[in-house]
Amino acid sequence: MTQPLERIPPAVRRLRPAGYTVVRFGDGSFLLHRRACAVAALLAAVLAVTAVVSLCVGESYVSPTEVVHVLLGQPSPDELVVGTLRLPRLVTGLLVGAAFGVSGALVQTVARNSLASPDVIGVTHGAGAATVTAMTFGLTSYTVLPYVSVVGGLAAAALVYVFAWRGGLHATRFVLVGIGVSIALGSLTRLFLTKGDYLVAQQAKVWLTGSLNGRGYDQAAPLALVLAVLVPVLVWAAYAQRMVSLDDSTATALGVRLGPVRLGLTSLGVVLASVATGAAGPVDFVALLAPQIAHRLTRTAQIPLLSSALTGATIVIVADLLARRLFAPVELPVGVLTAAVGAPYLMWLIARTRRGREGT
Amino acid sequence: MSRATRRRIAWTVAGMLLLFLAVLLSLALGSRQIAPAEVYDALLRHGTGDDAQVVRALRVPRTVVGVMVGLALAVAGVVMQGITRNPIAEPGVLGVSQGAALGVVCAIAFLGVHTPAGYVWFAFAGAGLAAVAAYAVAGSGRGGASPVKLALAGAAMNAFIASVVSAIVTTDARALDEFRFWDVGSIAGRDGEVVARTWPFLLVGLLLVAVVARGLDALALGDDVARGLGHRVALVRAVGALAATVLTGVAVATAGPIAFVGLAVPHIARALVGSDHRWVLALSTLLGPSVILVSDVLGRVVFAPSEVPVAVMTALLGVPFLVALVRRKATVPA
Repeated sequence: MTQPLERIPPAVRRLRPAGYTVVRFGDGSFLLHRRACAVAALLAAVLAVTAVVSLCVGESYVSPTEVVHVLLGQPSPDELVVGTLRLPRLVTGLLVGAAFGVSGALVQTVARNSLASPDVIGVTHGAGAATVTAMTFGLTSYTVLPYVSVVGGLAAAALVYVFAWRGGLHATRFVLVGIGVSIALGSLTRLFLTKGDYLVAQQAKVWLTGSLNGRGYDQAAPLALVLAVLVPVLVWAAYAQRMVSLDDSTATALGVRLGPVRLGLTSLGVVLASVATGAAGPVDFVALLAPQIAHRLTRTAQIPLLSSALTGATIVIVADLLARRLFAPVELPVGVLTAAVGAPYLMWLIARTRRGREGT
Repeated sequence: MSRATRRRIAWTVAGMLLLFLAVLLSLALGSRQIAPAEVYDALLRHGTGDDAQVVRALRVPRTVVGVMVGLALAVAGVVMQGITRNPIAEPGVLGVSQGAALGVVCAIAFLGVHTPAGYVWFAFAGAGLAAVAAYAVAGSGRGGASPVKLALAGAAMNAFIASVVSAIVTTDARALDEFRFWDVGSIAGRDGEVVARTWPFLLVGLLLVAVVARGLDALALGDDVARGLGHRVALVRAVGALAATVLTGVAVATAGPIAFVGLAVPHIARALVGSDHRWVLALSTLLGPSVILVSDVLGRVVFAPSEVPVAVMTALLGVPFLVALVRRKATVPA
């Protein structure tokens, strides 16, 4: 495989797919999708601008210059508002959106189904049920709740996986079982809402819709830690995505063990969605929307992980900005806005799906 | 009399016995155990003891509400599965119950309606809108509504409505307090007035279903065959959908959203008496109330002295059923 470059005839070199640039370093080389890179750069720029706008706007307006001052650590009269109140919330939103975006990209790749998302396969309902249960039993500390919700999300996903497994994992069966388990967990959650006292119910209700209100570094820290640890795994995931996108017989012929690869990618997606849910509650539909938008922008063969992360973060920031300002002074949970946009989009996707093609 | 008919009659009689037993349990069991003799005394001989008071004031209304709700949900499930030819169609799964819930929330928050008897019109309106929307979404595009498309459309509808509902209850604290007790789906604490207000709608729904029962049999053979047999397919679907909406509205306005009864009961009934809709409907009217009452009694007894609302019990009992249904075939027809 490490044939010197000069000996490759020119005709073979032209077999390189259109739209790619070859990047070489030493003996190795990889293909870079030019459009995907451009889109990622553009998304990053949009995200940066949105983030600054989000820091400027609120009950009091802070000028962009002051915001930049605060970000650079220079003394500023707006240190309190921007640095202490808005920045932690923004950081949490960024991480939550990125995690949901990547999670959705992975689950949709494995399911080969643009309709699949962690919301649909029970993860967020599992995390929700676990958290509300914990709240009812007097555990209201925001430093502990994220872990509870991660355990809940993983447990629910495992349950769906076991129920849907029958000599293989069929996408249709997976989705139907996921919806069923979600309904059961949702009703358990409602049960605990009636058991708790009124204040706990109010708090749980807001959390259940997905809110960044009052969230800060306490919630962002575990999420950031998990994301940092997972970076090498995500590089593997980007590579593994290509294997599971092959049709089954090709992949098997090439010696790819599809089962473990699929399980690995799904678990990664579930962990990301659960951790994000733990930080901000189930912010619905970001995991569904972000990969779809990113995929349409880049037009790559696989759903792009980096662009999905950037898109997810942008969606959450914009939605949170609107949630804060739309009915000011009353603040809506950010999940209300993402669901209000995401659910109609999901319906549009469903309406376009041709019968018999859902599994593919 | 053919063997099939004897079998159907036998199961129907068994269903009647089951319902009788369920009613008896619902009247006798709870935080206070009451002997059947006392129940008989309270109902038919105007007993005056404490037990008789409990039976008449609390258990009887609760049992009547349970029968109504079970009846409405089971029949709505049969009709929905019939007109969509879809094995997982059900008021809860399709988002129709959530639609009714949204109607109720709006009534509480914006119009100051505070009694279940007043909710019912808003529940109808919400249920109707959600049913039309979910089916329109799933049914559009080439190929029409498959089970997965319908389930996903329902899930999307559920999520969308849930977000609107929570937007309302986040901005209106009083509405949340009232709504959260109703939203859990329970037949406890619903008084006789609810029954008095909603039974005419239940009756209308059931009559509409009776009218289209034969049409549902024809639909099962496919639209073309049904048309060939002289049935007006669109009319059957429209009347069926109207009936299912009214029945769901009755159930939700009375007891809140209760999932899986409308899913499970029709399947069980079909497994017992075959696919003839008139028999399926007859048996479902017996099994639906039985399932609700037994779930409610279990909810009272298992975690005594506190109670688990009936909707939680049916969801916990119903999910294994759905899983079994989905697993029965190697691949679900997409």
